Amino acid sequence: MRKHKSDLIILFTTLGLMALGLIVIYAIGPMRANVLNSTYGSNYGANDFFIGQLRSVAISTVAFFLAFKVIPYRLLRRFAKPIMIFALALSALLWVLAAVGSSLAKCELGECRWYNLGPISFQPAEFLKLALVIYLADFLARKKEEGTIGRLREFWLPFGLVCGASLALVVVAQGDLGTGVTLVAIIFAMLLVSGISLWQFLIVFFAVIIIAVGAVRMSSHRMQRVDAWVATLTGGESSDSTYHIENAMLAIGTGGLTGVGIGNSVQATGYLPESINDSVFAIMGETFGFVGLFLILAVFGAMLMRLLRVAGHTSPPDERFAVVGVFAWVLAGVVVNIMAMTSLVPVTGITLPLLSYGGTSMLFIAYALGLTLQISCYTSREEVKNEDIGSRGRLRGAHYASRRRSA
Amino acid sequence: MPRIRILKYITLGLLGIIAVRLFFIQIIEHDAWVAKASEQHTMLETITAKRGEIYMMDHGEPVAVVMNQTTYQVIIDPAITPRDKLQSTLDKYAKDYITANLDEVYAIEGLRYYVVAKNVPYSAATKIAAEGLSSVWLKEGNSRVYPEGEMASTVLGFVNADGLGQYGVEGSLNHILTGKDGLLRTISDVNNVALSIGDDNVKIPAEDGQSVVLSIDRGLEKGTEERIAAALEHSEATNAAVLIMNPNTGEVVAMTALPNYDPAHYGNVKDASAYINQVTEVPYEPASICKNFAYSAAINEGKMTPDTTYFNEHYVYVDGWKIDNAQMNSFLYGEIDMRTALYWSLNSGSIQALKFLGDDPASINQKGRELLFDYYYNKFQLGHNTGIELIEAEGFIPDPNEGWGRDSTYANMTFGQNLGITMIQTARAFSAVVNGGYLYTPTVVKGVLKDGEIVALDTAPTGDAAWGTPTSARVGEDAAAGPVGERILTEQTSATMRSMLINNRDYKVRAGIDRFGYAVGGKSGTAQVVRGGAYDDTFAELVGSYMGFVGPAGELPRYVVMVKMWGEGKSVGSGDAMDLFDSLQNYLIDYYKIKPNL
Repeated sequence: MRKHKSDLIILFTTLGLMALGLIVIYAIGPMRANVLNSTYGSNYGANDFFIGQLRSVAISTVAFFLAFKVIPYRLLRRFAKPIMIFALALSALLWVLAAVGSSLAKCELGECRWYNLGPISFQPAEFLKLALVIYLADFLARKKEEGTIGRLREFWLPFGLVCGASLALVVVAQGDLGTGVTLVAIIFAMLLVSGISLWQFLIVFFAVIIIAVGAVRMSSHRMQRVDAWVATLTGGESSDSTYHIENAMLAIGTGGLTGVGIGNSVQATGYLPESINDSVFAIMGETFGFVGLFLILAVFGAMLMRLLRVAGHTSPPDERFAVVGVFAWVLAGVVVNIMAMTSLVPVTGITLPLLSYGGTSMLFIAYALGLTLQISCYTSREEVKNEDIGSRGRLRGAHYASRRRSA
Repeated sequence: MPRIRILKYITLGLLGIIAVRLFFIQIIEHDAWVAKASEQHTMLETITAKRGEIYMMDHGEPVAVVMNQTTYQVIIDPAITPRDKLQSTLDKYAKDYITANLDEVYAIEGLRYYVVAKNVPYSAATKIAAEGLSSVWLKEGNSRVYPEGEMASTVLGFVNADGLGQYGVEGSLNHILTGKDGLLRTISDVNNVALSIGDDNVKIPAEDGQSVVLSIDRGLEKGTEERIAAALEHSEATNAAVLIMNPNTGEVVAMTALPNYDPAHYGNVKDASAYINQVTEVPYEPASICKNFAYSAAINEGKMTPDTTYFNEHYVYVDGWKIDNAQMNSFLYGEIDMRTALYWSLNSGSIQALKFLGDDPASINQKGRELLFDYYYNKFQLGHNTGIELIEAEGFIPDPNEGWGRDSTYANMTFGQNLGITMIQTARAFSAVVNGGYLYTPTVVKGVLKDGEIVALDTAPTGDAAWGTPTSARVGEDAAAGPVGERILTEQTSATMRSMLINNRDYKVRAGIDRFGYAVGGKSGTAQVVRGGAYDDTFAELVGSYMGFVGPAGELPRYVVMVKMWGEGKSVGSGDAMDLFDSLQNYLIDYYKIKPNL
């Protein structure tokens, strides 16, 4: 397949969303600084958050173009296993550091999710997402080629081990359900298109759902969130737990059709928790109204559709799986975050891709999107047929064997 | 179906659900959310009006005796404020003002707001602020300070925790002192800091309360209390009340009762009766002081003169009751004149005045009763509110034509029993007796302070509302409706009464107590106390009173002084009250540097 132009829609939606996030943080950053200073006695400057976001966007843009233009996916794939092991090791090390109380582990509200590296902090779970996408793409493609997909020892055992370890480190050790949900989405989306038999997929899917429900019921603070969600849905009594979601909806609701305009958000002055991080969508709802949110939703929708189109037109299974993984990553972020803000699901604490304040999450999702752009340069004109029938793998891929990349 | 297409439909479905949900929240529910937001974002803050201060006069200049100070409440967010540092900070700077047990406060789950200290002074509050504790707010407020301590507390009253004036001037002039609160309505951030967002912000400034200047003289009040305290030490009495007023204007220059209470810690008082102003709120029987009023009536009606005589038998039978004189010296038996009867405070003498009023020197009749009632109730305004700017009780005067034993009741009334009147009523009536015959409305307020000038207070309460809120007695029916500076006695009657009252004290001049060159007159009163509906003839408890005036010889009196001393279960004769009067009238001469006419 000859190299052609990359997918412009993915390119521009990525850059556009990052720019929009920057504008919103510019408007509400000073309010956030003011709230933190007066409530916690911290000493943030008015533009600290904007500068922080500017730095994140700059670094992420560099990562985006590195993945897009510089680092070939082939190279990454070759190191898929070491990358995965490294990512797991980073998360495991954080857990150990936190357990021994090292100052290298940065904890907030009792959850230790960050490495403390002086002026910056680093969240290994974000790296784990990228590693998992790269690793699973390689693993599933190999198994597909070997024709061992769905077999217990060759497939389910290593698959379960890697995925289980990842989820355990993120959800149990770091208490990060949001990342856990994203990982599950990535795993199942990639598994779905890997060519696994549907009944196997469904069995695993429901097994995981049952385990997840059980885990939520076992955890009191997660049950609290579910109760709070039920309370907001049914108009139950307000409490500290419902405060966050009520104020998110208050922000969105007051936006009306066209919003209150940039810089006029009242909810950002301290009423809405996490206004620049997880709740930024609600502030955008207040600022830009239904029209603005619908456009943002449409931009994400366009990006997601293009990602699926790239996946659908990419022949090499590993590349196709990688794109689907990135797709699921973005989808999980968008859907879970927005549904939480609109009280369609309980709050899980997940950032809105490319828009929320935060360095690590933006860095890795930008890199992942850059990767899909690289892959988008090699799509075929027609949709790849029968791509997901596992049994074809037994032909050892002869049908596509001649395809080699020139890059 | 290709599985990628499944993902596509799932995605579109999810985004569709979100879009519909957003439409629902932002378009359909928009108004409800806006209403809720306005409820949450709008800060309605009362701008507290400053309460007016209370001044007394001191040598013609107003001086503050009740002032305001800005104090602070310390408010914390137990979820954020560090407990140990808070405790040590409060212990260090505001130990006396802590109102909460931090152990209990921090034990309450979900608590985000709590007042842990109140009335913290500015200096301590700034030190607490400098500690930089997280989520500690200092809320400004006001509290009263009393530079004179307990002085005149029953006259001044206090301000309760809700900022409402209680008792005394604080209570009766609450509407003048309070002012009008302003209002601030604005969009605010989560810490209630006003934002410039929004265009329906409202600010109505507060109108501060007016500062009241009392006619009471601070130095005189203080000196009076010192003399009362000294008198109580040498007396059976536990309580004493004193009223000093200018009989020619009705202006009160001293009014107090001991024991006082500490208005800054008014809550420490065990019995709320300690708050009551004994001078205006407690009707009692001033006993023989009332003989002045009976005499004045009979002289003013032309029915007798000081030289008119009657036959004194030491007792009088009325309605079958035997009324004894207190003094039964043999030289008083037989034909004596009215001056002598007053000098020795003979009950038979004042009863004789009542008989003269009815034109029958031998017995009490309806005409006499009605005339005495007319003088007591209508002319002297006894049994009425006087209209002074304080909470008052009315007291009562029995009707001349109703009830059993009217004659004996009225016989008793001539020497101040069987009626209930307040000290202020008595002193006002006595002022008319000695000032040339004019009845004035007593006043304790000089005016309000406006730009440093004293301006007359003209916002008297309207309708049936009297000053303040009555507690026990009916108040306000005819407050301020009585004659103001109205002549009720002739010049001649008043002069005659003055001469008799001065005559009462001629032995005091001889004893060197009353100074030469001054006209000092007075009359004592010793009242039995009603126990179980009847007068207690064991005299186990007596209330001693003395009423008199002082001024330069040959001139109208400058000041009228009334003293009342009592104690529960104590037999306090008028002697103690008279001694206190003696020291007070001399003190007045010195304090006001009244020149003698030698």
